[in-house]
Amino acid sequence: MMEERAAAAVASAASSCRPLGSGTAPTPTAAAPASSPAPGPGPVGKGGGGGGSPGPTAGPEPLSLPGILHFIQHEWARFEAEKARWEAERAELQAQVAFLQGERKGQENLKTDLVRRIKMLEYALKQERAKYHKLKFGTDLNQGEKKADLSEQVSNGPVESVTLENSPLVWKEGRQLLRQYLEEVGYTDTILDMRSKRVRSLLGRSLELNGAAEPIEGAPRAAPGPGALSGGESLLVKQIEEQIKRNAAGKDGKERLSGSVLEQIPFLQNCEDEDSDEDDELDSVQHKKQRVRLPSKALVPEMEDEDEEDDSEDAINEFDFLGSGEDGEGSPDSRRCAAEGNPHELESRRVKLQGILADLRDVDGLPPKVTIPPPGTPQPRPHEGSFGFSSDVFIMDTIGGGEVSLGDLADLTVTNDNDLSCDLSDSKDAFKKTWNPKFTLRSHYDGIRSLAFHHSHSALLTASEDGTLKLWNLQKAVTAKKNAALDVEPIHAFRAHRGPVLAVAMGSNSEYCYSGGADARIHSWKIPDLNMDPYDGYDPSVLSHVLEGHGDAVWGLAFSPTSQRLASCSADGTVRIWDPSSSGPSCLCTFPMAGEHGIPTSVAFTSTEPAHVVASFRSGDTVLYDLEAGSALLTLESRGSSGLTQINQVVSHPNQPLTITAHDDRGIRFLDNRTGKSVHSMVAHLDAVTCLAVDPNGVFLMSGSHDCSLRLWSLDNKTCVQEITAHRKKHEEAIHAVACHPSKALIASAGADALAKVFV
Amino acid sequence: MVMAEGAAVLRRNRPGTKVQDFYNWPDESFDEMDSTLAVQQYIQQNIRADCCNTDKILEPPEGQEEGVWKYEHLRQFCLELNGLAVKFQRECHPDTSHKTPKECPAIHYTRHTLDGAACLLNSNKHFLSRVSIKESSVAKLGSVCHRIYRIFSHIFDEYENETFLCHRFTKFVMKYNLMSKDNLIVPILGEEVQNSVSGESEA
Repeated sequence: MMEERAAAAVASAASSCRPLGSGTAPTPTAAAPASSPAPGPGPVGKGGGGGGSPGPTAGPEPLSLPGILHFIQHEWARFEAEKARWEAERAELQAQVAFLQGERKGQENLKTDLVRRIKMLEYALKQERAKYHKLKFGTDLNQGEKKADLSEQVSNGPVESVTLENSPLVWKEGRQLLRQYLEEVGYTDTILDMRSKRVRSLLGRSLELNGAAEPIEGAPRAAPGPGALSGGESLLVKQIEEQIKRNAAGKDGKERLSGSVLEQIPFLQNCEDEDSDEDDELDSVQHKKQRVRLPSKALVPEMEDEDEEDDSEDAINEFDFLGSGEDGEGSPDSRRCAAEGNPHELESRRVKLQGILADLRDVDGLPPKVTIPPPGTPQPRPHEGSFGFSSDVFIMDTIGGGEVSLGDLADLTVTNDNDLSCDLSDSKDAFKKTWNPKFTLRSHYDGIRSLAFHHSHSALLTASEDGTLKLWNLQKAVTAKKNAALDVEPIHAFRAHRGPVLAVAMGSNSEYCYSGGADARIHSWKIPDLNMDPYDGYDPSVLSHVLEGHGDAVWGLAFSPTSQRLASCSADGTVRIWDPSSSGPSCLCTFPMAGEHGIPTSVAFTSTEPAHVVASFRSGDTVLYDLEAGSALLTLESRGSSGLTQINQVVSHPNQPLTITAHDDRGIRFLDNRTGKSVHSMVAHLDAVTCLAVDPNGVFLMSGSHDCSLRLWSLDNKTCVQEITAHRKKHEEAIHAVACHPSKALIASAGADALAKVFV
Repeated sequence: MVMAEGAAVLRRNRPGTKVQDFYNWPDESFDEMDSTLAVQQYIQQNIRADCCNTDKILEPPEGQEEGVWKYEHLRQFCLELNGLAVKFQRECHPDTSHKTPKECPAIHYTRHTLDGAACLLNSNKHFLSRVSIKESSVAKLGSVCHRIYRIFSHIFDEYENETFLCHRFTKFVMKYNLMSKDNLIVPILGEEVQNSVSGESEA
């Protein structure tokens, strides 16, 4: 840099001056040429006028006028040089600041416009609903506030007028409502979270806008009917993304400052300036837009007019499907798909969406399509055998702690305003936990059918189709270098069953355990010391008693520590109650119920009432029995409207009189023990739900299914908070059992692939 | 359990299934099986079909990697040996060599061996995947076979007639050359082995 050279020159001049003696004629000439080559801004070369004497710093030499002059001159030169440097720096910093400010404004604008679009969609949706309601019921739906307020909640719920400065409380309620609607439709929360993450990534960081984003309210009611929208949130995101892609694709020749998103800004900003080809329903939306509009301009060069019109036309045209979808009229844009919701299209779109997320700059023009998924059906997913991980699972796994990353976008954070999971943080803290696989229990030869945890230690029992039960002590785990999950070896194998062991239950204080098998026998075992060496001698006293009585495979076992009773259910159609005491176990009572309800599949003691047992059946019934009376009390309404659907497992809530059932029709139902009514029913998985476990505090529910996934549900709001993909399929079976440790933070799953996994 | 919907067959033994209805589904050809546990499924299917037809059971399908085939068969042997061990455990009578079942060396040996085999066959170090086996791990199969064979030599009773387990095992080790003929001491199969070796081709 010039300044540096000048400074160097000055420094060399100064240094060459100092050693020189005083007043010698050649020195100034020596000094002068040394400094003259520097074409600095300062008059360094003017040293010619100065004398040879150094400045006052040199010491006791007498001061001479030329010397002083020289000194002053080169000091000034130095100052000039520094000043120039500072100016340059300042200019640089200013440029940076301006750039960043511009970027920020660009992002804010983008966000505003996206929000605007969202509101437009919401409004259009409302209109649509009104229309639909009118058609269906012949009356006007009471919309509450018809005014173009900024936040129109779904009118069937509480209607709130929200000001521009939305309060988080309102958003929370709105979100809860939407979640509920989405659940009815069949969208689990994993999907919601996935969508919200995507939207978040699109919307960027800063949210200080007026009227900043409301909760994404595109989600519709689960209204029956042809054109009814469902999965609105996903729709919104798709549309937004489509828009961005389309615009990005159309602007190849334009200069881009940072990514395709910035280019949205001019067109979006100018959206409201145009007129006339808007539908009526968008008038009020325009009005809203104006109120929300940001005054700032972006740094992106202005677009040409024709482009603006095209883009805005596109934007407006997008909303046409809302109005015309139901009536079946073709929208002006032939790209719209009808409301049949082709599941395969949906699937391919999801794959594409993932691609979009991974790289926003990808402009391999997707044919923009707006597909409306069929209402109420769970996400279709191609099952490609054991490794049938569709993009859905992949995306959902990002929530559940999987390995797929969203690339750069994964680093974007959002303030609390838009954080859809903030309502989760209001619920118990224990709930924010994400479970990760820790141990893999590998020793069985065939599928594991049942599991039971030790009541106090980190130990568990597994019962397998290979005919053995194995006891595992997790504290003796062996580290394997390659795997993240530790491998554990069993400390004891219980051999006595002939044929598959189908059920296991832990006795009181984990001293004894009980197992039931396909050989119709129930064995009671004394649990050996957890620190025993696996290769100790055989101890026949481990096998304690055999409880005989059933006539066919024993599929379910449950033990009640309070009443010291063992309940079992069998394919012979009976539920039996045993007193398994070591002095001579006996069958206390038998409930033969094949005639009435079918074959029982699972039993559980109700936690709130020790004298009651609840049993589930192949027919879909769940029956509550009173042990003291020896008869059935109540049949719980677990059949549902769809008729027969086998219940695979029934569990009882630890604190409430609630029974939870897992069905072959992919659903989970919650039933009240007192009234027998179904309190809640939800589609939980993509295939039969095979097993359930409630954590001992009643905070969450774990469910496993033959779709190879484990899902954790919050019992507060019945939403899925984590999905874990575990186990591979053998034939069409994947996960047979799940369990929660009664006192530690451990959960486990058992699969048809002969593995058991423990998560912490 | 065959479901009535269309052509979908659900091969599941759902809770509540009676023992006689277990595995009550049509057989699948090996190529149709798309699970990673296809080899195990296939072997078990063939055994259920006819447990005496040891040749069919031991015959690998087209293109199946031999290491995996041997491994899965060994797993299946260990699985079935469990039944043998159980039966023996139940019927062990005290005799002169030992007073109580606790001291019975055969039971000890059987359990010890089975546990050890389970450990090795399921160890991550040697058998990480059930779909492809390292060459070095295949060598371990031989030692497992030796140990398992000794179970047979320790105890031999009418269990065999029900499942032809020893027959099959002997044929298996011969076919895949996992043990030398000299080690095959279980008498009843002596002649069979002589006959079959001359006819068997090197696997």
